[in-house]
Amino acid sequence: MLNGIFRKIIGKGDDSSKDVAKKRLKFALVYDRLDVSDDVLENLQRDIVEVISRYFEIDKDGLSLDIRDSGDLSALVLNTPILSKRRDTS
Amino acid sequence: MKGKIIVITSGKGGVGKTTATASIGSALALEGNRVLLVDMDIGLRNLDVVMGLENRIVFNIVDIVKGKCKIGQAAIKDRRIDNLFLVPASQSDNKDAITPEEMIRLCEELREEFDFILMDCPAGIEQGFENAVVAADEAVVICAPEVSSIRDADRIIGILFSKSITPKLVVNRIVPEMVERGDMLSHEDVVDVLSIDLIGLVEMDDQVVVSTNMGTPTVLQKNSKAGDAFRRIAMRLNGNEDLPIVVPQVPNRFWKKLGLKIGLGK
Repeated sequence: MLNGIFRKIIGKGDDSSKDVAKKRLKFALVYDRLDVSDDVLENLQRDIVEVISRYFEIDKDGLSLDIRDSGDLSALVLNTPILSKRRDTS
Repeated sequence: MKGKIIVITSGKGGVGKTTATASIGSALALEGNRVLLVDMDIGLRNLDVVMGLENRIVFNIVDIVKGKCKIGQAAIKDRRIDNLFLVPASQSDNKDAITPEEMIRLCEELREEFDFILMDCPAGIEQGFENAVVAADEAVVICAPEVSSIRDADRIIGILFSKSITPKLVVNRIVPEMVERGDMLSHEDVVDVLSIDLIGLVEMDDQVVVSTNMGTPTVLQKNSKAGDAFRRIAMRLNGNEDLPIVVPQVPNRFWKKLGLKIGLGK
């Protein structure tokens, strides 16, 4: 414990290997626990793109779909660049 | 007698399930319980060698289930510890040689004859795991403080919950020096990630290798840190739930401490 405090004071090793391990684990477990296959994610992404494309012109290559851990809940995060609004929607 | 069936499991192989089964079972028997250890790793049996009973095998669990022998004929009585018995796995069969229905029937019989029945679960989540878990009342998950072991433990814990079993966690092979340096996940980190209750912390102990070499249960060794830890886990399983959990500590080295205080060392 003393060692840990000491490391923090002199500011070296702010991310020890076990911190890295814990972060990686938490990330991996979010996916594991949801038990969603890649197929499901791909289908979901395709459907979402289809719906959004009805209203906006989006950059499909810049789109990313992530599942993140926020406390006790898992969050589905979709990021997409919008190029323009579709003309035919008013 | 209505015995309790406890499955010792981990998901990942090589984290200390068999050693834990042998140690906890021995300690429970030393406390005066009638204990049966069952090796469920059919095809890859090992509990017999860890216990030093490999030369006395006549029948195995598949023989009992298939009606070739009685439980009493297959159960090897330990000569060092009273009331301790082992049913070995079969070495020549496959994991699917036994069905879950057969296990449930067998376990009903075992409950009548023993206070504690410890199932040494095989690695993995296939049929062998299903058989070991199907009749269990309680589960102990053994986990080493490393990413692969924790990830597999999480999967196992999820499956156990889906079977309405609330498992207890043992963090095994803790190296306090590495934890202090920040190079090993602490037991708090492991509990934080897995979110289940602890039942014990076991320090990495060279004595385990020695007792496995000799085929003597670790709990019979004097001055074994792991043996002490397993004995305390057995006491908790035996109803002494409030027994405080001892956290493995770095040996108190005066000069090292002094060095840290005055800013030497890293």
